[in-house]
Amino acid sequence: MIKFSNVSLIYPNSTTTVLENLNLEIAEGEMVLVIGPTGSGKSSLLRLINGLVPHHTGGILAGDVSVDGNSTQLVKPGGMAHLIGIVGQNPANGFVADTVEEELAFGMETLNLPNDVMRKRVEEVLDLLSLAPLRDRSIATLSGGEQQRVAIGSALVAHPKVLVLDEPTSALDPIAAEEVLSILHRLVHDLSLTVVIAEHKLERVIQFADRIVHINGAGVAQVGSPEEILMHSPIAPPIVHLARALGLKEIGVSVREMRRMTADIRGKKYVEKNADPAQIGETIIKVSDLSVTYDAKPALKSVSATISSNEIVAIMGRNGAGKSSLLKSLAGISQLATGFVDVAGFNPQILKGKERRTTIGFIPQEPSDLLYGQSVQIECEQADKDNQIPSGTTAQILQQLVPGVLPTTHPRDLSEGQRLGLALSIVLSSNPAVLILDEPTRGLDYQAKKELTRILIEFARATRKCVVLATHDVELVAELATRVMFLADGDIVADGTTLEVLLSSPAFAPQVSKVMSPLPWLKVSDVVAAIQAHQ
Amino acid sequence: MKKLSLHPLTWWIWAIGLAIAVIRFDNTVFTISCVGAVAVVVFLNRENAPWGKSFNWTLKLSAWILLVRTIIGVLIGVPIPGTTLFTLPILPLPSWMPGIRVGGTVTAERLTSALTEGILICAIIVIFGAAASLTSPHRLLRVLPVYMYEFGISIVIATSVLPQLVSSVSRIRQAQKLRGQSLRGFTSWRRVAIPLLEESLARSLDLAAAMDSRGYGVSKKRSRYRPIKWRAADSAVVFTALIVLGLS
Repeated sequence: MIKFSNVSLIYPNSTTTVLENLNLEIAEGEMVLVIGPTGSGKSSLLRLINGLVPHHTGGILAGDVSVDGNSTQLVKPGGMAHLIGIVGQNPANGFVADTVEEELAFGMETLNLPNDVMRKRVEEVLDLLSLAPLRDRSIATLSGGEQQRVAIGSALVAHPKVLVLDEPTSALDPIAAEEVLSILHRLVHDLSLTVVIAEHKLERVIQFADRIVHINGAGVAQVGSPEEILMHSPIAPPIVHLARALGLKEIGVSVREMRRMTADIRGKKYVEKNADPAQIGETIIKVSDLSVTYDAKPALKSVSATISSNEIVAIMGRNGAGKSSLLKSLAGISQLATGFVDVAGFNPQILKGKERRTTIGFIPQEPSDLLYGQSVQIECEQADKDNQIPSGTTAQILQQLVPGVLPTTHPRDLSEGQRLGLALSIVLSSNPAVLILDEPTRGLDYQAKKELTRILIEFARATRKCVVLATHDVELVAELATRVMFLADGDIVADGTTLEVLLSSPAFAPQVSKVMSPLPWLKVSDVVAAIQAHQ
Repeated sequence: MKKLSLHPLTWWIWAIGLAIAVIRFDNTVFTISCVGAVAVVVFLNRENAPWGKSFNWTLKLSAWILLVRTIIGVLIGVPIPGTTLFTLPILPLPSWMPGIRVGGTVTAERLTSALTEGILICAIIVIFGAAASLTSPHRLLRVLPVYMYEFGISIVIATSVLPQLVSSVSRIRQAQKLRGQSLRGFTSWRRVAIPLLEESLARSLDLAAAMDSRGYGVSKKRSRYRPIKWRAADSAVVFTALIVLGLS
């Protein structure tokens, strides 16, 4: 169906090739997963399929990409519209209509399909993706998962043979991600649709993939079955790390397979690890009776909580549960908040300038919002000047967090992980008491996530510091958080240690705990430690 | 009041009619009342969508333009005799620039003429800003013929990305505030401008790529899923503009 023959790709003004001599054939009805570190060219590979690269982005392409016999050299992306549906990294940026129904119809209108065909197909897709209740809704009011489904739907109405998706679950909570992926799985099996998908959160997609393309960023690409590629790949979901740590001969890519392989390990009796004595530090954040209302809709309903020093609190919940509202109120930038908030002795609403910097460090969902300098060096010097610290301090922090960033690079040219690192080092240079992060792992690969985990744990260990983060990433929470607050519809519905909260909800349980259930282990290191204690 | 659901071209035709009338009348009282009427129509009819909110920014922008235009008009220009308000020092200019004077006597007439011209320019900006905020850019795209492809794609990008920028501005300023930066003065806007420019560029490219991959402009003919019809209400709105135009 899709054929890459001797494909090499290089962008102008770049010294490294994105792809070098890639040969790949994808059969009809295959689901292929593209993995690789951030900035390695996953998106480029996907966009080569319908010719957006190089027709739209520039770049020099050698070799040939063809889909169903149509070479992208001869046919422009528009001419492939009936053959390929493509869903971008941020579907909200690609919407061209106001309501769900009109958005679905747009592609068919441009293909000049007759009205009765359009009506039939719109109904078909509305049913297939369970979008019928949303048909007249304005797209701007939909949640992230719903928008993702509309984007997939509007790609499907043209009855394409190939569907290409770039990180379809990165902005979604685990439940919404599950919905989207099971729809894709069904399309592959029922309609024999060919699906190519790029994703960082392998734990979510790996069980659906038939084959994996692993690009390492220096032009080399490996193609093989999930088991083959993941056996030795540095990029692997926790389940594979578990198999490696247990020394299993084979690796399993689904929870079911892994449970079969580890039945004997689970069968043994283990000494119950005593929970760490609860260290109750001094209270740093105190919230009581906090409410936030947007357009007469309550986002937070009279929430009360205290957070003490050395805690790393993960705030979880579905899209739209009120996580961002809570973080914004803690940071004092929500004008609509009513109630009492105290952060390290200050009311965050009235904090300004230096006092604000030394009390609260906030990393917004788009870390680049904090950046405005023309180079990494200018950013670091600005932070030094702002905080009246010896020049070079911020640059030094940055070198510790993400080594190897050239000072002359423009922040825009950094990878997602590096950009987050830069924003983080600027925030850390003022040594704030509280660090607040909103969805820090969007677009981060495993390596960058590991670094982030290390940095945050180290930060929280210091005296009178704590970290609050909102995230959908259960695996990150398992590795990092000491406490989880679960929000639903503006209320805190669960608040407890990470172990208690994550184990009590199957949808939010990390992979390792699903494999090892009912044993109370969340991460690979828990399993290893318990087995060693047993021996 | 129930909001009118009109054809996307209606408000644009209405705006063009009013703009021509305002220019032909060239009467400050009429111009100001026209702007007032337009503002009332917008506040009653705009949708709760990004483009609906853009009108406030149009008003702010035109106020700025009026201010700058008046100051420049008073400072530079051909002297108009009349009642002297105050006198500014004259900036000496080289002899090859005759007839232009910077500074000098400011007469009431000069001030009025600068104001009148400024108000006219602002009125036209406000009228077209109103059309933009009353019409969904997406619906506008759907009625534009396909042979206007390049034009259509740029209109959609401009009109749908720009209003979204308004919300990005507040988001970025919020982030800057968190970095403990002052939000006052020119430099604070420079700090906003750079992330904003990057974001708008990225969004525009995304949208153009999405439209391209969905075959926009490939077939010269487009079918209509739910045709947008021209109704009596549309004719009525256009008719009011025509009456004003006829009177001018």
